[in-house]
Amino acid sequence: MLKNNLDPHFIDNSKSEYWEISSNIFYWSSAFLKKIGYDKTEIKEDIIYFLKYLIHDDCREAFRDSFFNYIKNDSIFDLDIQIKCKSGNYKEFRCFTSYESTKKFNKNTKAIFFKERKVVTDDRVKNNGFFYRESAEMTKTGSWFIDFLKQKSYWDQQTRKILEYPEDYLPSLKDAGEYYAEEDHELATNLFFKCGMSGIPFNIEIKMLTANKRAFWVRAIGKPVYNDHKEIIGIRGVFQDIDDEKTKALALQKTLDIIASQNSRLFNFAHIVSHNLRSHTSNLTLITELIDSMDTVEEKLEMMANIKNISESLNTTITHLNEVVTIQTQTHQNKVDVNFNDILNYVKKSICKIISESKTKFKVDFSELPSLDYIPAYLESILLNLVTNAIKYKHPSRDPEITIKTYIKDQKKYLEVRDNGIGIDMDKYRNKLFGMYQTFHFNKDAVGIGLFITKNQIESLNGQIQVDSKVNEGTNFKIQF
Amino acid sequence: MKSPTVELACIIDDDNIYVKLVKKIIETKKLCKHLMVFSDGKESIDYFEALPQNIEENRIPEIIFLDLNMPVMDGWEFLERFTRIKNRFNKVITIYIVSSSINPIDIDRAKSLSTVSDYLIKPMKMNEIEAIFEK
Repeated sequence: MLKNNLDPHFIDNSKSEYWEISSNIFYWSSAFLKKIGYDKTEIKEDIIYFLKYLIHDDCREAFRDSFFNYIKNDSIFDLDIQIKCKSGNYKEFRCFTSYESTKKFNKNTKAIFFKERKVVTDDRVKNNGFFYRESAEMTKTGSWFIDFLKQKSYWDQQTRKILEYPEDYLPSLKDAGEYYAEEDHELATNLFFKCGMSGIPFNIEIKMLTANKRAFWVRAIGKPVYNDHKEIIGIRGVFQDIDDEKTKALALQKTLDIIASQNSRLFNFAHIVSHNLRSHTSNLTLITELIDSMDTVEEKLEMMANIKNISESLNTTITHLNEVVTIQTQTHQNKVDVNFNDILNYVKKSICKIISESKTKFKVDFSELPSLDYIPAYLESILLNLVTNAIKYKHPSRDPEITIKTYIKDQKKYLEVRDNGIGIDMDKYRNKLFGMYQTFHFNKDAVGIGLFITKNQIESLNGQIQVDSKVNEGTNFKIQF
Repeated sequence: MKSPTVELACIIDDDNIYVKLVKKIIETKKLCKHLMVFSDGKESIDYFEALPQNIEENRIPEIIFLDLNMPVMDGWEFLERFTRIKNRFNKVITIYIVSSSINPIDIDRAKSLSTVSDYLIKPMKMNEIEAIFEK
């Protein structure tokens, strides 16, 4: 039975140096044994024997942890190790697993490969304290160890330096919460818990806190540490200070987002220009052709009236396009502290006639966020557009009621304008709502420019606008500044 | 002058001036006997959907000029709904999309629809319009 499980082997064992492990039964290929000079009868083909007698002390722990991690969690590894040959000398091997190579085996069989290093590492750089110290310093990488048995954690000096703790500071598991930024507490707890309980290693960018409560970005790598009985007895890992790089990357990403959004607005704009101007110029072309074909002066004169119409519409379009361009160029305008109430009152005053005629009621609450750093003209235009829309598209059987409130959530500032109007069919119009010249109702005075301008103004200042609406119930616009 | 071969044509477009001009051309050139105009897809699909089956042929247009960009219901949605009901009519209805959009996405999409005979880009030339009616 035992023989059936292992035989035939998956790889031609006369050529490859490898181990095959199948439900705790080890098979070492003959090429591997030959390489280190032993006969099958002289040694025991298992991990305990290997750790005890064959592997060099310097690489013992690293190999053990990687090995158990691979067996338990299938995490692949690639290590340089030294194995004691029968002659008493050590040979250097690259010892590795690969996802590809394990796929060929059946599910319960694992393989580890050993390739002898052709060039032997010189003693002058081998396991040299200088090398580790300097690379830790250069890459701002500190190492740490959590001992589960003693319930203690250990840091090296570099970790203390990165985290700005004094040289004699002793880390404690109890204080672990203080080492991470509040928003990443849960993440850190999860990572350590999973690593400690199930042996899942981690490698992640996380926000930590220094002793001086300065938040900064760290790459944290952690791997479980095993004893010879395959039990997890701790976690070993490193923290690398990547704050400079991460901050730069984030700034770059932000710039990229701004450029992408500007580019998409420009593209959109070019499309609008082309489309909207074309409809007028094509009318002009058609009309001149028509005039040419007319026989009598009376007929020709009659057509002239249409040219006037076309020129008026062309003018309107250009005025609209102008408004859009103005948004793009005005973003550098100074933001000032704008009071929501003042702006709303101003807006109400400017459209007081339609408010009183429509018997519109307002429910306003700016208490949580009374003012905002913003371009006053934009806020005025945004509120004006949303309020007039709410009145324009009121429900025929009830008086309009507009609820306006501002608030702060997750450190972001919001403005919400809710109405009880006829609503918009979101399934149909979601994608078109903020497009130029898109109107969805039969209203004769619908122009289809307001929401387009509003969206552009908000986005030009890096904000977002969202809509939620139900037909016959009302619409809610949510703006994040 | 010859009498028009087309009985009834239909324009679906929200651009009043364009409609007025095409109407004028059709009248002057006597290209069809009757013309109906809808200012958006919704108005026209309401008309077509309300038509009873086996209605007299002369109430069904032979040619439809359809704009794409319209308020309330655009040309695409009209086409979608129209395709569902077109078999009700005992008559071949030729649909031309007439749009000022030169966006290749629109053009390809239109060409992929079997209901659509051709995609015409505004401005249409007078002789182009005549040619369509004489087909």
